[in-house]
Amino acid sequence: MSPGSDQIGEVFENLKLELRRGCLTLAVLTQLRTERYGYTLRKALADDGLEIDEGTLYPLLRRLESQGLLVSQWREEDKRNKRFYRLSPTGEQILEQLLKEWQSINSSLNKILQEA
Amino acid sequence: MSTSSRSPNPIDLVDRYLQAVRFWLPKNRRQDDLLAELGEDLHSQIDAKEEELGHPLDQAEVSEILKRCGSPMVVASRMGPQRHLIGPTLFPIYLFVLKMVVLWILVPVFIFIVGPVNLANANGDWSSAILNTMGGLWSGALIAAANITLVFAILERTKALAHHECKWDPAKLPPLAKTERKTSLVQTVCELGFQVFALVWLLLIPQHPFMILGPAAGFLKATPLVHAFYLPVVLLWMFSVARSASILAKPEWTWLPLASQLFQSIATLTILNFFLHAVTQTPTGMFPFVVLADSVRDSVHYIKIAAVVNVSILISAIGAWIGLSIATIVQTWQLLRHIRKNRSISHQAISAQAR
Repeated sequence: MSPGSDQIGEVFENLKLELRRGCLTLAVLTQLRTERYGYTLRKALADDGLEIDEGTLYPLLRRLESQGLLVSQWREEDKRNKRFYRLSPTGEQILEQLLKEWQSINSSLNKILQEA
Repeated sequence: MSTSSRSPNPIDLVDRYLQAVRFWLPKNRRQDDLLAELGEDLHSQIDAKEEELGHPLDQAEVSEILKRCGSPMVVASRMGPQRHLIGPTLFPIYLFVLKMVVLWILVPVFIFIVGPVNLANANGDWSSAILNTMGGLWSGALIAAANITLVFAILERTKALAHHECKWDPAKLPPLAKTERKTSLVQTVCELGFQVFALVWLLLIPQHPFMILGPAAGFLKATPLVHAFYLPVVLLWMFSVARSASILAKPEWTWLPLASQLFQSIATLTILNFFLHAVTQTPTGMFPFVVLADSVRDSVHYIKIAAVVNVSILISAIGAWIGLSIATIVQTWQLLRHIRKNRSISHQAISAQAR
């Protein structure tokens, strides 16, 4: 019995989500080297080709903040209250380590793909 | 753009949307913060769109932004904390305990103890006895499942088994399971030969009672109760012959030996149940299985022999009932294990194909 196209589609979507999950964290941390609020962060990520919906981004920001990687502050801008995020000193250290890890994984993967 | 689709204040929609999201979120201050941020994001999206279009958005355009964001319930489920009654660490143990209690304790107890007791007390009303048993099993399973779930939910919340993972010892792992032995051709042929021989023997008994009673056939004869159960026993034995022949003809049907064996055991058990129940209805002072032939009716010596034969048959029937009950539980477990194993192989094959 061969799997149907629906099943293949579902498997692909699940694997894509898994693949994106780690990358999103890295992308968000990298973008927050500069202070941003939620909407501009989403826009910056989308402009670079990494769409992220509100329901994914805000819980992720909360989690990273509770892990001590981000600091946030409510501030008024353009007559509206906005929450601004930026990397904490711990976040900067961890981002550096994560980027090294990412580059190592990336080069290993490229090597594997070339061999295949 | 029609003026009818315009609302005096389409931004109200955002507040209504946030109110709907709030309904599905747990009520705490952290969620208020999250909602304020979501609201700000939506307002920023509206601002950006208005800047792009060069006019204030109408209700339809605001609705479009909200639709893209997702239904309030879905957004709340993504934004809220991950909630589960029993987490992934405890879930396999929970499922194991649930299966053990419901499948291996409750179901056998209701099939082999509660069911027969209900049938015995039903005074011939079997349908209500079966319904009572099924109802009892259903309530019992629900109560057991609820209690087990409650206990595991408490264990999950209190993290009572959090350090269990550190305590396991590789040396205490169970030994490797033996590979499943397949039924050999010689064994199946021998079984079939024996069953055909036994069937012929069984069919000859009514005309030649000597073949079962031996010399006692001269002074003992079967009661109407034994005659009544003769046909079901013959049919059961015929099924057994057909079963062995099918296994011989279709060895690739690996489920057949287990499934048919289980069916045969359940059928035998059912006949035995009725048989033993009928024995309890025998009037006091009467032998249930064999009685004396008319020619020796008053002989004290033969009455003693008849009594011993009747007691022996009764003890054998009770022993067979107990043995079959245990065998049925084991066979059910073997069949379920076989089905689960086959399903796992099928899933692996599908995954391999998908790759």
